[in-house]
Amino acid sequence: MKGAEVISLFSEILQGDEMIVSSNGNVSRQAFHLLNKPHIYLRGSMGLPLSVGLGLSLSQPENKVIVITGDGNFLMGLGSLTTIAHFSPENLRIIILDNEVYATTGGQPTVSSTINYKLLMEGSGVENVVSLTSINNEKEVKKSLVKLLKQEGLQMLHIKVERDDIKLANIDWHPTEITKKFHFGHKIHFKSS
Amino acid sequence: MIDSILFLEYMKKKNYSLAIGVPCSYFNNLLIELERSSEILYVPATREDEAIGIASGYYFGGEKSFVIMQNSGLGNIGDALTSLAQLYGIPMLIFVSYRGLKEDDDFPEHSIMGEITENLLESMKIPFSVLEEEGWQKSLSLLIDKSIKKNQPVCLLIKKGVFG
Ligand SMILES: Cc1ncc(C[n+]2csc(CCOP(=O)(O)OP(=O)(O)O)c2C)c(N)n1
Repeated sequence: MKGAEVISLFSEILQGDEMIVSSNGNVSRQAFHLLNKPHIYLRGSMGLPLSVGLGLSLSQPENKVIVITGDGNFLMGLGSLTTIAHFSPENLRIIILDNEVYATTGGQPTVSSTINYKLLMEGSGVENVVSLTSINNEKEVKKSLVKLLKQEGLQMLHIKVERDDIKLANIDWHPTEITKKFHFGHKIHFKSS
Repeated sequence: MIDSILFLEYMKKKNYSLAIGVPCSYFNNLLIELERSSEILYVPATREDEAIGIASGYYFGGEKSFVIMQNSGLGNIGDALTSLAQLYGIPMLIFVSYRGLKEDDDFPEHSIMGEITENLLESMKIPFSVLEEEGWQKSLSLLIDKSIKKNQPVCLLIKKGVFG
């Protein structure tokens, strides 16, 4: 499957009240165009989707927070894997769409092909890890996405995907609009003082 | 010296419920009290940009946090500020130890960053002030208000001894 196909499949499985953080580049564009709205679409801050997801999961313990990240973003902010494993928020889920390249900038290779993601994540202290390493496994992917939402506790799902070639339009919300629409759409209110 | 317990009580009153940071010896006392605090959770970040990311996510979820780092960490957060915290309009307080001043003559690793710290913050368009012990509540309050009113990160430079 391609990353965009996984995201489309995911959109059929979501309940609708989840909070999603997507990594910069193609993944955020796909999340913006293929999922319900509004979510946190990162436009920059490469390497930070997991940290943003961690912060969001800590302030929204009653809601499911799902980070969708490319492998390049995941590897740039690899330290956040260990921070998340340590605090292990019950409501946080991480999905890594691993195409082994920086697709957004032209498909230059990352070092992902030599990583054993299951060992990496389990060694960091994450208990619930699934790593799907064969590319043509739509059934497996669907099953794992369903389980990711249903099963309790912090979970990480690594999926090897084919490189995308679909071209999606840019996100037409300015980042300040993303923040406002997210707060409004998810009914997030602030304490005064 | 600003009493760390009073300081954390003040932050709690201002609705800060999370602190994220990478240590500097200037914050030793404060970090000890933070670890003890049952009201403010402390997350030790692996890098300073991760700390900015966590603080941003916390605000997306409607809560306020502050970040603690050494000024060397300013060198790690350029993109986290300009393409996330500033761009998405996220108020946050960043406490930065001011290393590389006279008392750090034996620490050449801090000398260049010490020299450029204020220029760096100015060129990144981050409002800042050097926190003085006298009247700290008032200067803090002014900066917090600015951060919230303008939806932007602001920075407090902390000299040696200010937090004990
Ligand atoms: C700090 C930083 N360095 C480089 C870039 C340029 N850049 C934008 S997206 C991207 C690739 C992201 O790769 P990945 O997360 O694997 O997603 P993919 O593009 O493969 O979907 C890069 C290198 C950037 N935006 N920020």
